[in-house]
Formats: sequence, C-alpha cells, structure tokens
Amino acid sequence: MFRNLTRLTPALALMLMAAGPAPAQDAPRRIEVTGEMIDTWCYFSGVMGGYDAVVGSAHHTCALWCAAGGIPVGLRADDGTVYMVLKLEGDDPLAEPETLLTVASDRLTADGLHYVRDGVNYLVVEAVTANDGIVNLTHETFGPVPGFAIPEPAQ
Amino acid sequence: MSRARFALALSLLALPAAAQDFSAGSEAASWGLLGESPARFSAEVVDVLCQITGDCSPDCGGGARQLGLLRTADGVLVLPMKNGQPVFSGAVADLAPFCGQTVEVDGLLVGEPEATPAQFYMVQRIRPEGVADFVPADRFTATWAVANPEAAAAGGDWFRADPAVRGFIAREGYLGLGLETDRVFIEDWF
Repeated sequence: MFRNLTRLTPALALMLMAAGPAPAQDAPRRIEVTGEMIDTWCYFSGVMGGYDAVVGSAHHTCALWCAAGGIPVGLRADDGTVYMVLKLEGDDPLAEPETLLTVASDRLTADGLHYVRDGVNYLVVEAVTANDGIVNLTHETFGPVPGFAIPEPAQ
Repeated sequence: MSRARFALALSLLALPAAAQDFSAGSEAASWGLLGESPARFSAEVVDVLCQITGDCSPDCGGGARQLGLLRTADGVLVLPMKNGQPVFSGAVADLAPFCGQTVEVDGLLVGEPEATPAQFYMVQRIRPEGVADFVPADRFTATWAVANPEAAAAGGDWFRADPAVRGFIAREGYLGLGLETDRVFIEDWF
C-alpha cells in the first residue's frame, strides 16, 4: 500500500501545483469595527519603535506624513486586528491628500465590508458612524515619535 | 520509489501554505526592521481594490488607490507599503507606471507573526519583464514635487513642506490635540 501511495503522491502534487494555489479570499462580511486609524508601515515594520509607541498622539505627526506620503492606513481594532482601509466612505484613499489626514490617529467606529486575502484583512469603509478624535495619549509616555516630529523650539 | 522522493512530494504539497524563501539574488539593503527578510520576485502590478472587490479602474486608479503585487510563483497578493526612500513615502508612484504589467521587484518582506499572519513589502528597486536594469523605487518625491510646485520650490523636506500636512498641524498641532495642548507639552518636553 505504501508503495502505491508513494507512486501516486508526486502525480497528485504536480496536479495541485499545476492548478495553482487555492483561492485565499473569503466572501466579504459586513462588520462594524471600533479602533484607531494608524500608520501601518511604522506599526508593522518597527522602524520608529515598538507597537505601543507608533500609535496615538505621540505618533500623530508621523501618521500625517505617512498618510500624505501614500503609505496604507489601517484601522487597528481593540482586539489588535489591523484592517487595511481600501476605501473611506466612497473615496479612494489617495485621491485627495486630506481624505485620510482628517482621521489620522482618531478612534472611530466604521461600518463596512471586510475581506481577507492571503492573510491580510482589508476593509472598505462605507460609513464612519462615530469619531471620538484622538484619545490615545501616548505622548505622555513616549514624547514625540520620532523625536524629530516636533521641531525643537528656537532658543 | 524512495522515501526521499516521497518526502519531496510531501514538501511540494506543502509549498502554498509554507512561507517561501524569495531571497535568492536579492540585493536589498537591510533596514533592521521587524521580521525583515530580503525578497526578489516577479509579480503583476495590480489595483488592490480591484483584486479584492471587483471594483476596477482601467489605470489601477490613476495613483488614487493602493497597488499590489500578484506574485507569479504562488499567486499571493503582496501588499507593498513603502518604497525605497527614507522619507515616509509609499510605493504607489513607483508601481503605477507598471499597472497590469509583470515586473521583477527587489526589497524587504517585513512583519512579525505575532502582529500579522502575512508579511508586507518594501520595494527598493523594480524592472519590467524583459528589461536588463533595475531602477530604484524612489519616484515619490519627484511625483510630490510635480503636484506641489510651490512647496517644492521652497526646498527642504517634503513632509515638512506639504501644504495639507502643514494645514492640519497649524490647526490641530503636532499632537493633534489642539494648539494649547501642544504649547504646554512643548514647553515641558524641550
């Protein structure tokens, strides 16, 4: 039996490879998410510091820079899941520079369609149903992140 | 059939699910990032929104949408977050000219498994299929300068000169909490 199995398995493997990877995208699900709009590059790469330092007021100026620079923004839910925002209330995120700057670092509740593709969570935000503004006062712990975000006052 | 061939067959079956190594031939510069690994691969440049939802635009959104890399080797949609410039810049300006085309990219995969099940990408250089030389992924600042000629003419870092960013900081402060909160914090911090 083992001999038969070993004879069949390479053929099966080749058939599966020829067919390509299995679809990795689920059907969209309508969800409501509450969390903070974050700069995803600094968050996931660690380029500016740890996860707790690159959110909230400490990182707000950098979040503005990155959103204006075209880096994807994400909605970090309270459970830590980050949803990459592909559309915000009908607007393409990079169509106008101010679209995403308006909500940078804000805690908001969004209603939209959730998609998962290859391990990444994506969100098409159809409506922002609540916006509490910036409530994550990380500057009290970390100061500005990065340190040069706020220019040192002239003496 | 040897046990070695059987093991090879099993490993082939596991390929789509396992993290693959795309470091061969990469000349990507290290940035010391979380979970960083060099990655050079071929991919089609796609409009992410189109790929995910079917809401498509003939020019991948004309720079208004995030662009993705549909990797040739395994069909995985890789999300580039960053280009190669050290200036808070994404990769859309570098990828947009290649919408719908197959390119070879070289850069870094980043992200730790405890924070994300999938890694993201920093594009450092690109070459279209069939072209000999790579070009650096550094188009953001030039694209920004075309869109903001007066601010660019003033010189300095784009992110400090950007009119939209300057407007928000002027109204809400560096912390986004209002100018009075900024004043008190800056007086204490520096």
